[in-house]
Amino acid sequence: MRVKERRALLGALGPVIALLLAGAFFAMRSDRFLTGDNLSLVLQQVMVVGVIAIGQTLVILTAGVDLSCGMVMALGGIVMTKAAVDHQLPVPLAIACGVGVTTLFGLVNGWLVTRIKLPPFIVTLGTLNIAFAITQLYSSAQTVTDVPESMTALGTTFQVGGTAVAYGTVLMLALYALAAFALRETPSGRHVYAVGNNPEATRLTGIATHRVLLGVYVLAGVSYGIAALLSVARTGVGDPNAGQTENLDAITAVVLGGTSLFGGRGQVLGSLVGALIVGVFRNGLTLMGVSSVYQVLVTGILVILAVATDQLSRGGRAA
Amino acid sequence: MQARGLVKRYGHVTALDGADFELRAGEILAVIGDNGAGKSSLIKALSGAVVPDEGEILLDGQPVRFRSPMDARRAGIETVYQDLAVAPAMTIAENLFLGRELRRPGVLGQLFRMLDKPRMLEQSIAHMRDLQIGIRSMTQAVETLSGGQRQGVAVARSAAFARHVVIMDEPTAALGVKEGTMVLELIRRVRDRGLPVVLISHNMPHVFEVADRIHVARLGKRAAVLNPKNISMSDTVAVMTGAMSPESLPAHALA
Repeated sequence: MRVKERRALLGALGPVIALLLAGAFFAMRSDRFLTGDNLSLVLQQVMVVGVIAIGQTLVILTAGVDLSCGMVMALGGIVMTKAAVDHQLPVPLAIACGVGVTTLFGLVNGWLVTRIKLPPFIVTLGTLNIAFAITQLYSSAQTVTDVPESMTALGTTFQVGGTAVAYGTVLMLALYALAAFALRETPSGRHVYAVGNNPEATRLTGIATHRVLLGVYVLAGVSYGIAALLSVARTGVGDPNAGQTENLDAITAVVLGGTSLFGGRGQVLGSLVGALIVGVFRNGLTLMGVSSVYQVLVTGILVILAVATDQLSRGGRAA
Repeated sequence: MQARGLVKRYGHVTALDGADFELRAGEILAVIGDNGAGKSSLIKALSGAVVPDEGEILLDGQPVRFRSPMDARRAGIETVYQDLAVAPAMTIAENLFLGRELRRPGVLGQLFRMLDKPRMLEQSIAHMRDLQIGIRSMTQAVETLSGGQRQGVAVARSAAFARHVVIMDEPTAALGVKEGTMVLELIRRVRDRGLPVVLISHNMPHVFEVADRIHVARLGKRAAVLNPKNISMSDTVAVMTGAMSPESLPAHALA
């Protein structure tokens, strides 16, 4: 194996090694960590962030970033629960409304980035605040309760060898498999990487780079809508304050998973590992009885470490 | 490929003022000219990057109109740009097929849009061997290559997909001496496979090394077409800058 290939393999395995180390650490500190039920709980805690991270990965692969992800998801959750509870819409239609709103936000983000040529950071900082404000106004800052059971079905579990597994986690894994296939094995997936790598060269090969970018933001919006459904399923309510930890956690997950903020490099499955790292830290620290403020502190440190690694490895590459 | 009386104005500036152009089968035609001579406007018109205001472009004797680089590409004209237009983190095979990926036959390719990676890899290897570009693995990332090798990938991509003409805009400008020579060798091999090449270059030694004929652009027109075998480099530069009129040259210096 060539040195470069070995280094690339190490880069792909790095997040997995970090996950195993974190797991080993918490297994030593708490007897409950390595039980089937607790690991299943970690998966359930991770499913919302995990699905958001799929959309976030697509955006970051194009050298963008979507700061609005968690807030757009919260809005989607409020819209679908209010549609079902206040407006008595059938559940599938209510879900479609919620996913429709998050997709629309993706479309707006993508349109502003591709047509008005605004930096993604600024665009999504704006839509983050807009989505947050609409969520608060529309819900009057009240939690939506009495959500129909069929809307929270993905939060229910089935038994695998005595361990309860949530349907939502299965959906998350299926979405990861789908995204990984699309990114690796289809022309459109490769074009996402190409746009992140060298947008001008990609345009000159005749690829409609604007359409690729717009598609990425729209798909990201769809993934936030699905995440909203999972969030509603997990908590059983429409929560106007959902998505606040997920917003940064999703970006952290993607970067921890080895996807470069400079675009064009990374794997969507890495984001799943990254989401699990974040989940394991939150879960393990909780089991150790550490206050949740420290979890936020740790997440902050993790994201800086991950970005620093990215920057340093990139610097080494340019030299 | 021919062009007649091309005119392109930008506001008050006339970049092309009735320029003619002729590329013959199987030749390397160098296009030289001082800054502002209309050299790049000419090339942009031929590659579809700008639409000329007047004049016509003929391909195999048929008039064609390019409204975008895609139109020119569809007509079989490929352009290589000086700034190493490749996606660095992607593999050589992926770069060669970027935007023109092959998909699996049957349901996998049509419904699931699945790439045919083995076939693309196979064709990449065959094509790069054909052009004698000494790169062993097609699955290595382009960023692991030297500048010359990267330009080799860009040239190979154009040569693979061009059916009529390859246009190369300063392909050696960003390269060192040895790498430049390697790319010149590659340009010759592309011509020897039967594809005519338009080479835009500021580098006179490079032009004299590979060109069969030299098109001199001056003041938005074609000042002369020279035969590099029968004219000196300094006389060529004199024609280019206007210090020497083409009429004063002996007949065998023209081509």
